[in-house]
Amino acid sequence: MAAVKSSGRAAVNRLAVVGVIIATLIFLAPIYWIASTAFKPRALATTVPPTVLFQPEITSFIKLFVKRVQMNKAVDPATYAAAPWWEQRIMDNGERVLRTGDNVQLSGYPSRFMNSLIIAITSTVLAVGMGTFTAYGFSRFRVKGEADLLFFILSTRMLPPIVVAIPMFLMYRAVGLTDTHIGLIILYIAFNLSFSVWLMKGFMDEIPKEYEEAALVDGYTRMQAFFKIVLPEAATGIAATAVFCFITAWNEYAFALIMTNRRAQTAPPFIPSQLGSGLPDWTVIAAGTFLFLLPVAIFTFALRGHLLRGVTFGAIRK
Amino acid sequence: MTSVATKMDSLARPAQRRGLSDLGIRNLFIIPTVLFLIVFNIFPLIYSLGYSFTDFSASANAPANFVGLRNYRELLGDENIWANFVITAKYVIISVSGQMIVGFGLALLLNRTFPMKGLVTTLLLLPMMMSAAVVGLFWKLLYDPSWGIINYALGLGDFAWLSNPDAALFAIAITDIWMWAPFVMLLSLAGLSAVPKYLYEAAAIDRAGTWYTFRRITLPLVAPILLIALIFRTMEAFKTFDIAYIMSTQPTTEVIAIRLYKQAFQQWDTGKSCALAYIVLIMVLAITNIYVKYLNKVKER
Amino acid sequence: MRKNLKLLLAGAAFTLAGAASAHAEDLTIFWAEWDPANYLQELVNEYAAESGDTITVETTPWSDFQTKTFAEFNAHGDAYDMVVGDSQWLGAGATQGHYVDLTDFFNANKLNDVMAPATVKYYAEYPGGSGKYWAIPLEGDAVGWAYRKDWFEDPKEKEAFKAKYGYDLAIPETYAQLRDIAEFFYRPDEKKYGVAIYTDNSYDAMAMGVESAIFSYGGELGDYATYKVDGIINSKEAVAGLEMYKELYKFTPPGWGKTFFIEDNQAITEGLSAMSMNFFAFFPPLVNKSTNPNADVTGFFANPAGPDGKRFAALGGQGISIVSYSKKQEASKKFLEWFIKDSTQKRWAELGGYTASQAVLKSPEFQNATPYNKAFYDTMFMVKDFWATPEYAEILDQFNQNIYPYVVGNKGTAQEALDKTAKDWTATFNKYNRYSN
Repeated sequence: MAAVKSSGRAAVNRLAVVGVIIATLIFLAPIYWIASTAFKPRALATTVPPTVLFQPEITSFIKLFVKRVQMNKAVDPATYAAAPWWEQRIMDNGERVLRTGDNVQLSGYPSRFMNSLIIAITSTVLAVGMGTFTAYGFSRFRVKGEADLLFFILSTRMLPPIVVAIPMFLMYRAVGLTDTHIGLIILYIAFNLSFSVWLMKGFMDEIPKEYEEAALVDGYTRMQAFFKIVLPEAATGIAATAVFCFITAWNEYAFALIMTNRRAQTAPPFIPSQLGSGLPDWTVIAAGTFLFLLPVAIFTFALRGHLLRGVTFGAIRK
Repeated sequence: MTSVATKMDSLARPAQRRGLSDLGIRNLFIIPTVLFLIVFNIFPLIYSLGYSFTDFSASANAPANFVGLRNYRELLGDENIWANFVITAKYVIISVSGQMIVGFGLALLLNRTFPMKGLVTTLLLLPMMMSAAVVGLFWKLLYDPSWGIINYALGLGDFAWLSNPDAALFAIAITDIWMWAPFVMLLSLAGLSAVPKYLYEAAAIDRAGTWYTFRRITLPLVAPILLIALIFRTMEAFKTFDIAYIMSTQPTTEVIAIRLYKQAFQQWDTGKSCALAYIVLIMVLAITNIYVKYLNKVKER
Repeated sequence: MRKNLKLLLAGAAFTLAGAASAHAEDLTIFWAEWDPANYLQELVNEYAAESGDTITVETTPWSDFQTKTFAEFNAHGDAYDMVVGDSQWLGAGATQGHYVDLTDFFNANKLNDVMAPATVKYYAEYPGGSGKYWAIPLEGDAVGWAYRKDWFEDPKEKEAFKAKYGYDLAIPETYAQLRDIAEFFYRPDEKKYGVAIYTDNSYDAMAMGVESAIFSYGGELGDYATYKVDGIINSKEAVAGLEMYKELYKFTPPGWGKTFFIEDNQAITEGLSAMSMNFFAFFPPLVNKSTNPNADVTGFFANPAGPDGKRFAALGGQGISIVSYSKKQEASKKFLEWFIKDSTQKRWAELGGYTASQAVLKSPEFQNATPYNKAFYDTMFMVKDFWATPEYAEILDQFNQNIYPYVVGNKGTAQEALDKTAKDWTATFNKYNRYSN
């Protein structure tokens, strides 16, 4: 009887694992499709039936970085022969590369990618820095109305971006912060700070008070104890919080759409504008998307032990 | 050894006399953050509350005129706005229930030991870490009626997901489910793994059926955490902007955030937009309140 | 730091432009994402070589071009020195102080004689007939049609068409003929369809298609001088035009409920439809074999006439304006002086731009340069435009909200849709006190 039951359970287990495999394949299919389209020749990106096997190439990445223009007639053979290999690939697609003098003109993508990096990194450092201090304050000291204050801090995160964007737009206009890096950095700090406080508070609560108390007895000041004892203990938590904040800032769309135009524009509002002109070139969009998603994918793996905590503001942990 | 000892000695002085008092440190650590949030989150809201009673337009050079509650009256009496709220509600229901079912289902499948479980779980979590705007853009290719892989895989011919007014909302919800079902899965897994093993063993001894065990043991114990996932996702789905804005401009998919965006930044009806923003805000805060109450309850356990 | 990183990134794959001379200006022109913007970038690179001032053409997709521009205007931002703005924006640009007044520049250079009359009227002057100019016509454009020459010229098709409709299958002269041809080629079982039209309700896509039909049917959108709309936008001519547009929608490929220039071009490249509506400026990929496998058999024609022989087409195209918040207005003016030179206009046309210069338009080189330039030339003398009042964005949105459910969603009648439009527009004009003086 028992044997029957356990073999039945094993069968259920096997079935479940098959289910897991199928589900994983379905969930990864869109991501695979982005990645594979990025390496396809343009003609194979939109075929019926969809092309699965192909000779991968990096033309789309070259196209992503240079400014190109559609030709309305065939390329002159002499020009073609004189062009470097990567430019020939672009000419094969009916486009020519723009130059200023002898220099290849870059597309808007590299500068948007850099903006994304600058804004995400700066805002992360500041949000996590401030959040760590505040979390320590809440974790170690009695604060009057602590629950209400923490609720207030959390609720700022729950505000729909579009709601905050209207007054922020007016305020930024008044002080000239629209389309600046600082403007977007401030917004992202405001957006991430509450998250960083909540998550860090969870991590701080886990560090035994006894460590600092021992240090205080040894004559450390509170500040010294914080910097020399607590911070090193909290390093993992800080790193996890930072990665979460980075990803949020990196992915943010609504504020970036409204508050930036050119100088400080980040990648998310820019990538859709790569849709191209008369006919969209999906390989280039895929290449831009691929490069943009890559850091997030890597970080997700780095974070995997902290994901649960991260998505629940530190409320639930294993 | 000696050097360490000297170092310790040099620091071994009464703490109170140097550095900041605990109170000072507490204030130094907490007050800047609270101030920052007030300046950049609360002050703007007060600012826009003021504008919500005016006919101000950020595109005109005319000064704002006080109009009392007219904006609110007009908005609450505007059937188009109500239509946007109905669309939002429909979207929330479709998308969140889909996420709950798929996410919890995945968690049930994953709640056992098998090789490479960690890797598989992480892979499944990838979608929710990605930018909704960028992902939404790419799903347009997947949904393309003539060459999209979705129609090909499902044998739907040239069904136009996004340009069909009735299907578009579902198409966006499916993308959203793809992105956020892993979130529900992650929480459910935590809930499932917290169910004590002995309860199942006891049930097995009592020869309880699988369904009975699931209903009487698993579900009640996972319910609180599932509820958190539900409230959280509801709140987020209610605020949806990126994905719907990128994927479709159908009137049938114009969720309230898109309406708000258009009113504020395309028609520049600033005063009225501020009023609408407040209506939305009150709704979001209500859901947030429920969420936080629940979080605290779960934390207490 | 930032610059270094940028250099590093760029230098890894490409050589980067050398440092420009110190006092040279860096100008930015904002336009929508399409081929002409890239042609313009190519043109201004030549200006950079001459003058030392570098110019970047920044672009954004059509769907949010207007939003982005006005967000920047209303932020009083100086990210853009010049904007190649849609003709409908003139009212807002002029009255809300976003555009620099170019009247003196215009008169000093006698641009009234240099540029084609329709382009001056619609791209530059506001209010109509006032003699005040806010832009220099840059890119002429209008709605035209691409068609499959091979389908039209197939003897078997010709015979079958003649038998069914009693006249020869040829480029349609009227909307009625266009409708017949669309019906004739509509064969879902062969995956062939009749016609591709604009149906996207965002921005002005569908509005441009619908107004082309309304204009050719003898209708108008309203009296642009007095703002009178009731009895005009819902006149029986306008209703007939809208009904024809909905009729054409029957013969579109499946899922054609949300389409703009991309889809309409794809209708040709994928061999889906016999005819396809598009702005001329979107046609370059259709004549290039690497982007359109049917390039050799694709032809072009101008918008057909209505039942009374009236023949019009919706105007696209843009003029270039100097943004009043720019800190580099003098350098921008210097560029515009270069831009209006005959030699520049000629070069602009060579690169693929649609010059508004009469001399260039009339030249045989221009008309024979591409398979569609002749149709473009014909069209530019029969164009009409949408409202250009400052509140045009609201008007456009209301128009979309009323006609889209009718054309695509099969809701109500054309008369109801346009009656509602008349009502909404009147209310909006009232709101802006358009009737008080």
